[in-house]
Amino acid sequence: MVSQQTRFRNTTQQDVLSDLKVFVDGVTKQVKCNPLDLTKTALSILKSLPAARDAVLSYFCSVFDKASENYVCAIEVIFSTEVSTGTIPPLSEYDEAIISEIHSVLCSFVTENAEAWAPIISTWSLELLGEISTKYAGRAHISTGLNETLQLWMNCRATRTLIDITTQCLSCLIHSDTEACINALLDTSVKHSPNFDWVVAHVGSCFPNTVITRVLSCGLKDFCQNKSYEQGCNSPKLKSVVGILGHLASSHCSDIGTALLHLFNSSLIVDTAQDNDAIRLQKKATIPFLLHLSNLSSTLLSTICTNIYHTIPLEVILQLYNFIDDWCKYFGSSEALEDLLVSLILKCEKGASQIINLLLDCIFLEDVSSTDEVQNQIIKMNARDVLGTKSKHNIEIEMCINSSIAEFVLQEIDFSIRNNLSEHHGILNSLMNEIDDIHVMLLNPKTVKSQTAAKIIIFIGHNNPAILIKSAKFLFQNARTDHHLALLVRILSDELIDKALQPYHNKGGYFAAVLDQIFNEYLQELAVLNDNEDDFSQMWYNLLILLRWEKSNKVQMLRSQIITRALQQNLITFTAIFAKSQLDNKTLHTFTEILEILNIPTYNNGHSYSPPLQVVINFTIGIVNYFFVCCEERDEIIRLKGYNCTVEILKRLCAHSNIARILALRELVEIALFSNCNVLFGAHIKRQTPHEYNDKLLLKQNKKLSKTIPLTKHSSVYNGGIIGAGKRKSISFHSLAVDNIANNTTHLIRTIKACCLGPPDSEKETEVLQDNIIQVSLLLVQYISPDVMYNGLPWPEEEFSKVTIERDLFIRRLFSSTPLLWELMSLVAVHRPALCYCSVIIRALTATLMHQWSSMGDQSKSMNTDSYKSLMETTVKVIEVMSLGQLLPPPLSGIRDAISYFNSFEIVAILRDCIWSYMRDHIPSPALFTTDSNGLHWRDPTIARPPEIYTNTLRIIMQRNIKTVGHLYAQMFINIPKDE
Amino acid sequence: MSVQETKITLRKIEFPACAKEALSRISQLICRRGPSLSQMDLALDLMAEFVFCEIDKRGNKLSPLNPIKELQLLDVLFEYFNGNIKEVFKNTVFLSLFSGTTATLRSRILSKLISIAIGVPSKSVLISASALMQQVGDSSMNYNKLAEAIVKDYFVLIPNATQRLSGLPDCAPQFVANFLTAVGEIYYNDKKGDVQFPPRSLLETVVLWVTANSKLCIAAQQNPSALPSGTIVMESTTSIAGLFKWCILAPIYKQDCELYAKLHLGLLNNILDIPQGYQPKAINHVHLAVPIRYIYKYAASLVRKKDEAEKNRYLLEDANLQLSLDRYAQAVQVALSVNCVYGNVGELLNQVSQLPQNKLWSIVIAANQPNK
Repeated sequence: MVSQQTRFRNTTQQDVLSDLKVFVDGVTKQVKCNPLDLTKTALSILKSLPAARDAVLSYFCSVFDKASENYVCAIEVIFSTEVSTGTIPPLSEYDEAIISEIHSVLCSFVTENAEAWAPIISTWSLELLGEISTKYAGRAHISTGLNETLQLWMNCRATRTLIDITTQCLSCLIHSDTEACINALLDTSVKHSPNFDWVVAHVGSCFPNTVITRVLSCGLKDFCQNKSYEQGCNSPKLKSVVGILGHLASSHCSDIGTALLHLFNSSLIVDTAQDNDAIRLQKKATIPFLLHLSNLSSTLLSTICTNIYHTIPLEVILQLYNFIDDWCKYFGSSEALEDLLVSLILKCEKGASQIINLLLDCIFLEDVSSTDEVQNQIIKMNARDVLGTKSKHNIEIEMCINSSIAEFVLQEIDFSIRNNLSEHHGILNSLMNEIDDIHVMLLNPKTVKSQTAAKIIIFIGHNNPAILIKSAKFLFQNARTDHHLALLVRILSDELIDKALQPYHNKGGYFAAVLDQIFNEYLQELAVLNDNEDDFSQMWYNLLILLRWEKSNKVQMLRSQIITRALQQNLITFTAIFAKSQLDNKTLHTFTEILEILNIPTYNNGHSYSPPLQVVINFTIGIVNYFFVCCEERDEIIRLKGYNCTVEILKRLCAHSNIARILALRELVEIALFSNCNVLFGAHIKRQTPHEYNDKLLLKQNKKLSKTIPLTKHSSVYNGGIIGAGKRKSISFHSLAVDNIANNTTHLIRTIKACCLGPPDSEKETEVLQDNIIQVSLLLVQYISPDVMYNGLPWPEEEFSKVTIERDLFIRRLFSSTPLLWELMSLVAVHRPALCYCSVIIRALTATLMHQWSSMGDQSKSMNTDSYKSLMETTVKVIEVMSLGQLLPPPLSGIRDAISYFNSFEIVAILRDCIWSYMRDHIPSPALFTTDSNGLHWRDPTIARPPEIYTNTLRIIMQRNIKTVGHLYAQMFINIPKDE
Repeated sequence: MSVQETKITLRKIEFPACAKEALSRISQLICRRGPSLSQMDLALDLMAEFVFCEIDKRGNKLSPLNPIKELQLLDVLFEYFNGNIKEVFKNTVFLSLFSGTTATLRSRILSKLISIAIGVPSKSVLISASALMQQVGDSSMNYNKLAEAIVKDYFVLIPNATQRLSGLPDCAPQFVANFLTAVGEIYYNDKKGDVQFPPRSLLETVVLWVTANSKLCIAAQQNPSALPSGTIVMESTTSIAGLFKWCILAPIYKQDCELYAKLHLGLLNNILDIPQGYQPKAINHVHLAVPIRYIYKYAASLVRKKDEAEKNRYLLEDANLQLSLDRYAQAVQVALSVNCVYGNVGELLNQVSQLPQNKLWSIVIAANQPNK
């Protein structure tokens, strides 16, 4: 047994020893030997004599190095001989076999005993990778870019194997001791950067979380070793940390962010019980470390700054107080710390708005507590803390309380912009990307915040008009207070804004662009029928306020009339909105006031402005609509103001443009007569009949009664109602108060008159022009008469009225349902000879009256019935209008007073023999009138006295009724004014 | 041959060969009765320049050898110490190579040399190494480092150590004895911070060694190394107290591996095999008293914040503590019974009487009262 054991031992001894010899000899080239065999020997030594591992591994270094060299050379040969085909050079068989042998053995070590072997092997493989990368850097490289390098080396069997081994080591240690591996990674990276970067990138992306966390903690530990900032800056390890994190940042930004945040947060937790000195030191150094990292890498800076507001809320800032002194000591002075922070803030590409906000919050914090001296001091310190924390700042320097870091930052930006330096574009870019946040700041009730935001927008706007416009638009749309609007004015008029920049300058300035966008968007939204729920009324009101400010001439910055110019530039859309959209009343009032202030068209002050036709049209339509809105307005004062505005505007518009006049008149008349607005003027509206009855045609009803329609009088249904539905409902009267109707009517007439006035600054400024009023009468004919024919001035034989009876009845009905027509007729009648053009209307009315009176027959006794009253009333009105228009000269004009005393036969006779006949024989035309020296048209009653043939009937009837109409008879036939 | 001539001659030879040559010159210089001071100096110079290549010919420091060259050097050293030289000479050269002012510098090579010797294994190298360890002393840093390096090589990095090293005590019992003393010191020791525990494979191997060789623990004392004349021979410390410490402390550190029980038994058997009649020298009372401090600490943590009256009950009911105390009492009783404890035994008993209450201990203390 013993001898056996000894023998066994001896053989082992022999094997191990001879292996060792073979290996040493082979490696030192004393004996020529097959590399594969040598590798196998080496591996067996590695297994049996761990003490020799260094030597074995260093031999493997040369193996891998050789393989890599072969690979690189092969690549170079391929490149030099042919166009790149992307082929990978084949590996020599030996290399292949050797490497796979080594790979499998090392991997088995790592998997079997990770804790022991992984640190050793990973350190070795990383070091080797570093050496290889450096050694062959610049060879066989198409480009030095990270990706190309990665591609190149990952195609190499040797390096790929090494990377594989490394990642395997790391993955084995992922839950226990990664520190060692990562440390090796860092050290190697320090030594071989930048050629080693591809390894870091690859490993890092395999284990982003671990690598990031570890790299950070290694970096922090290293950083703690440095006593001062300058020393820290030059640490190569730190640079390597930054490099690695920089690589990873592209794809693992959020991981890095989380790791940084974790580091930051853990540094805030001071646990005196558990922390030993080293940890406490590390915690103190954490924030300077983070600051320094950000200073070295813009990517990290961005990562840190993203969402900083949540990272470092104000409460955290208060915590930071404890660290301030340490930081100042570390950086040498508080100024140095400030400078660093300011420069960091200026560089940051993300989250700038949050930083600014945080700074401002700190200022505010101080403001609040400034009464309490002690408190103030603390807050000041805190504010400085903030700064410390990754670029938050608001450091208040002790000496000058009011200058904050924010101030510094803004000054810096200001300076760089004024000098056209490009260096601070980081923060500006960031702010540009976060413009929405800035916008929110603009509306902040705290003045400091809103003004800072305005300043920022000015800075951005200096080079970027699009954003300026966007911001101005936002502010304009959302402004709720005068302060907001003042900011807007300030932004638009700041000296930093290049107001002459094309194409904005030619288009009326930036505000014009703002309005352009707003108006167009508004119109688009309308087009989509989006029942815009947003409240735009404030926006329109803002516009009004701005305009008022400008017109008040008290605001220096508005002297250039930017608001007016901008509005003029956008009048087409503005008036289109005014004209087309269903604005609420409040907004309409605002619009009207704006337009009134705008004074379109403008002739004075050298700013003469003549609006394009489209504007005139939109504007006219809009203002006419507005008039009717005013009629419905309940508030007396607003209504009157609205009326006045309307009148003023229409005066100007109609004088400016004939088109406007025609349009305005047409719209006014049409809407007043036929739209739903007609009730405002006393129109009778039919009660909405239930839908089901709408379909019941008279013809069908008749068919129901009998299968054939016997066209005999008594069996046919007249439209007196529908059998089964009761009597036809009488027309219901609108409940609008008579006062209101009268009032509305008065203002309508006034408005129409305003449209008809002569041009301003002329003597006819206040005079209704004849031509214009004729237009009104023509319009009336057009609207009232349903025919296009027989609308001429002459009155035909009375018989002919049987032909036009239908039309006449239509006109008559219109008059009875729309009392406004009488007022209009009166208006026309007053301005002679315009009524002549309404001849057809009067003719129709007269014709119907004759028919009605003759069918009235003996019913004249029932003089108190409604129908009699209304018939008499109508008759009087017709004659009155004719008299007013001097179509009926005296004594015929007196009929209106006498007629109520006659019975229906007499009335018919008078209408037929006196009025109709007279009118038939005296065509009512302007030719009947003469023009006096004032331009007034006049028909002299003494000259135009009708021949007796037309008055005899009247006289006889009056004589017959002399007991009742005696006083009138004298007036009409006896006391006749004589032509002197 | 003058000093310069020797060096010039050697400088003409290339590296591994020059080390070999230098070694033979060194042994010629120092392996004689009473070498002169100048000879010693020359020997040291030769070592630094030609063996370890620490300095160049002008005396400037060089960077350490690369691993391959290091291996070549190890090969040379190995060959030399396995050569046909008297043991006392080998030990002399070995001691002068690896002790003294340059010991720290060369400890890496030393540990590799020993590691390889274990792996091969090479009795003659290990014997020299054990002489060195004994002379340097078991508490020195180098000594601990050496032990740690060996543990790492064979019990951490290599999976099947127990089987491979089972025969080592037969080959070099003195070395194994010294190695055990060293590892006994390294583990269950809170001097460097946290207490560390031996790797399982080491524990297995130790159990195997101790149970299979009942005289192993005192092997170093039984076989004193052959040292050069004039050397003050250092008495080696046995591993008994150190390994007992493992067994005693294992329960209270919750290391409930059954191997500790086996080890405990093996150690007890070892003590019983200590030949009697001589002056007791196997165990120092100071070493034996080391566990007391740890037990106190544990007991204190156990009853912290507990009611005074309840304290005793907690201590008595804690199985780990009682197992620990039982083992301790057994070890002390057996050691006292074979009379192998030297130093102030009374002091030891006095200290242990302050330990938490334990039945076995009260018997042991009562049985060994000096006045009895």
